[in-house]
Amino acid sequence: MKTSSYKLYFFLIPALVYQLIFGIYPLIYNLILSLKDVNLITYMGGTSQWIGLSNYVQTLKDTVFQRTFFNTLVFTGLSLSFQFIIGFLLALLFNHSFPLKGLLQSLIMVPWILPIIVSGFFFRWFFSDQGMVNGFLLSWGLIDKPIPWITSQILPLFSLIVANIWLGIPFSFVLLYTGLRAIPLELFESADIDGTNWWQKILFITVPLLKPVIITTLTLGCIFTVKVFDLVWIITKGGPGEVSHLLSTLSYSLAFNKFHFGKASSVLVIMLCLVIGLTVLLNSIRAEEESSIG
Amino acid sequence: MNLVKNLRKYFRRRFRVIVKKEEYFMKCFMKWSLSMILIVAMVLVVISIGFTQEKVTITVQDYFRPGEDSYKCVEEVAVEFKKNHPDVEVNQTYIPFAQLLPTMLQESLTKTLPDILMADNPWLPQLIKAGTLKDITDKVKEWGWKNWEDFFKGYREITSSEGKIYAFQYTTNNLALFYRESLLDKAGIANPPETWQELKEDCKKIREVLDIYGFAFDAEASEEGSWQFFPFLWSNGGSLLELDQPEAIEALQFLTDMVKEGYVPRDIVNINGQGDLTKWFINGEVAFMVNGNWEFGWQLTEDVMQRLGDVNVAPIPVREKGMRTMVPFGGECFGISSNIDPVKYDLAWEFLKLLVSSDSILRLNVNGLGGLPTRASAAEKISVEELPFLKIFLEQSQYALPRPLMGGIDKYPEVSSTVWVAVQKALTGIATPEEAFKEAARTIQGLFSPEDYEKYKQLARKLLQEASGK
Repeated sequence: MKTSSYKLYFFLIPALVYQLIFGIYPLIYNLILSLKDVNLITYMGGTSQWIGLSNYVQTLKDTVFQRTFFNTLVFTGLSLSFQFIIGFLLALLFNHSFPLKGLLQSLIMVPWILPIIVSGFFFRWFFSDQGMVNGFLLSWGLIDKPIPWITSQILPLFSLIVANIWLGIPFSFVLLYTGLRAIPLELFESADIDGTNWWQKILFITVPLLKPVIITTLTLGCIFTVKVFDLVWIITKGGPGEVSHLLSTLSYSLAFNKFHFGKASSVLVIMLCLVIGLTVLLNSIRAEEESSIG
Repeated sequence: MNLVKNLRKYFRRRFRVIVKKEEYFMKCFMKWSLSMILIVAMVLVVISIGFTQEKVTITVQDYFRPGEDSYKCVEEVAVEFKKNHPDVEVNQTYIPFAQLLPTMLQESLTKTLPDILMADNPWLPQLIKAGTLKDITDKVKEWGWKNWEDFFKGYREITSSEGKIYAFQYTTNNLALFYRESLLDKAGIANPPETWQELKEDCKKIREVLDIYGFAFDAEASEEGSWQFFPFLWSNGGSLLELDQPEAIEALQFLTDMVKEGYVPRDIVNINGQGDLTKWFINGEVAFMVNGNWEFGWQLTEDVMQRLGDVNVAPIPVREKGMRTMVPFGGECFGISSNIDPVKYDLAWEFLKLLVSSDSILRLNVNGLGGLPTRASAAEKISVEELPFLKIFLEQSQYALPRPLMGGIDKYPEVSSTVWVAVQKALTGIATPEEAFKEAARTIQGLFSPEDYEKYKQLARKLLQEASGK
């Protein structure tokens, strides 16, 4: 073509500038913050010193951080697994038609539509000592003292996981359901003729054909789940006694409760590495899949 | 011949297509560059509007919402100020309280701090050390020391450092025990408890007769949770910098026992602000709560008090009769930012003087905030007959303690967060009070150099002694 190609690049400038200002610059600024000794005083006075990797060393040695890192892995792993399984089962169910299907499908979307503040406050009450779960168990005489769902050492993390599973089901459901609808019915009909039963159909037809959708769902779900902040902050603020922190809430607490901006940034950089690591892992599985199909 | 004609037609068509593509491309490029120019021009216009200010303006940044009484009080001060300075504008900017500190952080980086800024008192030592506030000692000297000394001791201490003055605290609040008389009557309790043992016994009666939690306080993972522990700690002679001492552990043990016995709900570790306690209190779900006088301007308004009809206030119980209830004070301050235009400095000081005059402080607190004045001349004008519930808070405000000076001055936020983590661990049974506080004491001591630690430890002890009147 006679059209000069350099003019094409002008069309990229707005998007590029936007990405640089709102995406790349904060990232680099964060990295720089994590390599300096920044607290409220040095930040406002503009006198922070470079201390290299000292923030990272202190962060990695901190027992609260180690527990938080472990919490994040458990939180992400369990949330994703159950969100995926329940979303998948619901997608399989909704693949058939039955009365009230439309209504029920919209009800599944409710966790996604509700503002996170509403869901957060709901679950905080739901799991509290005077909340719905304990009220139910007490009135049926199954327990005689309220169970500390969010006021003890081990349970809060799992209560948060339950809340997050409920929140994440619509996302998995939508992606998997859409992928499921794309599978041609003839495959299932011919499988019926061959005399397969329902779990063979799922295992040998549905799952292989859905693999790209499954990997996408898991990748996106992973990225969103590692970053979960509002749910945890509204319900427990990472407590009691810092037992239910995730990397995101720990970083916030370091920054705005203790004003350790340098340490908070180092936690965020580690979180970023975790997300990148998981995404690369999942992408490599997808690449294997695509190369084996092609 | 046909061949040539066809070839010519073929190439002409292609050329026309290429020209059309070029035309189309040029059209797109023209449209794009035109819209870019428009956008850039709009942005420039908006920016330039920000720069066109001919009049001298004093900017005041606070959390008073436009339309509220507190906002109007500052406007009245501005009107009075303009009488002597008719060509100066005063601009009030509203920032919600939770955003106040992050906004100041932002502004200090871009050197766009307002002329007069508001800060919560625990932030002051750090703001002073960061050089955010201007040293106004000379101006105060000109004004007259009696004006400075009219402020109660604690509020002078928090707004000054090493003999230099940086700000004025204009409002204050502190904590006391709120109780519902009707619930106490039903449980057969004649008077509010004065000691920890009495509080425990009262809660036991309330549990037996009414089957509700007797007592609630704030133990969430924030400053609101942390500071509610301080009355129990300080009244018992404990110190934030010496949490491994028996006085501190006793205080935590008492509260932990109250939770264990079922007199205090464990949910206090997850509430969202002291306001949640008031909600339980109004609903009759607890009989006693620890809360502050701002509630009278917020949830315990006149009509609510009339509807309930049985709300009363008593000092927070102490371990033994004869001990004095020691409370921390809250409240915000006004100061002048250090990057103020030197030309505007005198004007800003004139405005600040009016803003923290005795009358202005009285008006702000009585009309606006449900708060207490920080100046003796304003405090004595408060009629205790009209506002009987403020009596205890008013008395306590004269010897209430400044939190940062009791906890390592500029490292106070870290000390405070270490305390609330330890308190939460003990209340929920993750650790015993002794374990939790021994660990916390180690962490806190590790924040300071040995000389600083000794210095701050002695300062805290001195302040506690002076205030408890021993």
